[in-house]
Amino acid sequence: MMMTDPKNDMLDDLFAEARKIAPEPSEALVARVIAEAIPPQTVSAAGRRGLATRLLEMIGGWPAVGGLVAATLAGLWIGVAPPASVEDFTATWFGDPVAVGLLSDDIAFDTGLFADG
Amino acid sequence: MKSAPTVSQQMPDDALLVAFANGDTVAAQELTARLLPRVLAQATRMLANQTEAEDVAQEAMIRLWKIAPDWRQGEAQISTWLYRVVANLCTDRLRKRRGGVSLDQIAEPTDDTPGAVAQIQTQTRLKALSDALAQLPVRQAEAVALRHLEGLSNPEIAQIMDISVRSVESLTARGKRALADILAGQKAELGYDDD
Repeated sequence: MMMTDPKNDMLDDLFAEARKIAPEPSEALVARVIAEAIPPQTVSAAGRRGLATRLLEMIGGWPAVGGLVAATLAGLWIGVAPPASVEDFTATWFGDPVAVGLLSDDIAFDTGLFADG
Repeated sequence: MKSAPTVSQQMPDDALLVAFANGDTVAAQELTARLLPRVLAQATRMLANQTEAEDVAQEAMIRLWKIAPDWRQGEAQISTWLYRVVANLCTDRLRKRRGGVSLDQIAEPTDDTPGAVAQIQTQTRLKALSDALAQLPVRQAEAVALRHLEGLSNPEIAQIMDISVRSVESLTARGKRALADILAGQKAELGYDDD
């Protein structure tokens, strides 16, 4: 029969107890590990951006907004004081124009800018 | 009913690491789910301290993320690499612990139920084992921990520590004898005096 060393028995028992340990990683630890793997801009930057910023990006940023503003102002200008060529064109295709005065005559004609011909 | 495994769940570790290096964040999540529990368990067994073990586990995973772009698929196993990194990080911490009176750091049980008392005794024993490991030379501590705490074979340990199998045998034998001698004086404290 083989003799056992009590010192080794204790040690083997301690090893066996240690091997039973299988801690589940906490959610916080998992989050920290994944945060180290994924660069912050891909995780949080998108989440932090507001609706206005994302809409702005969808239409192409500030240069596109500049273009939209210019086109809107031009449309308004043409609507208020159509040049002769536009009036002739619309008269040809749609009949006589109907003039709607949005500005007072004083303002519109004192400048002399809107006189056609 | 178990859902079908996703593509990333079916990929081997090293393929996932390459995918991660190429910007696949799902691969990082899958690798974390797969590897972190084992990394944390190894660190906890060696250090017997949850906070320290979590720090080591996090540091080991960060090192994995950093090495990902340079990982050569098929050349080494990620599990082998991680065993080495965790063992090294743990022995670094154990070395700093030397000289401390550690058993005093275990809290006294706040209730007398058999479960609570047994839990405290287990913690005390594991802390004593960890502190005894700290007294060993680093290579002996690593070899003993990989053999007796992780249950790895001598050839596996040889690969992890990059030494011969014969050296592993020698390190584990000497380490185990030294551990037994260190712990012999704490037999009563650790609850082994009644047999």
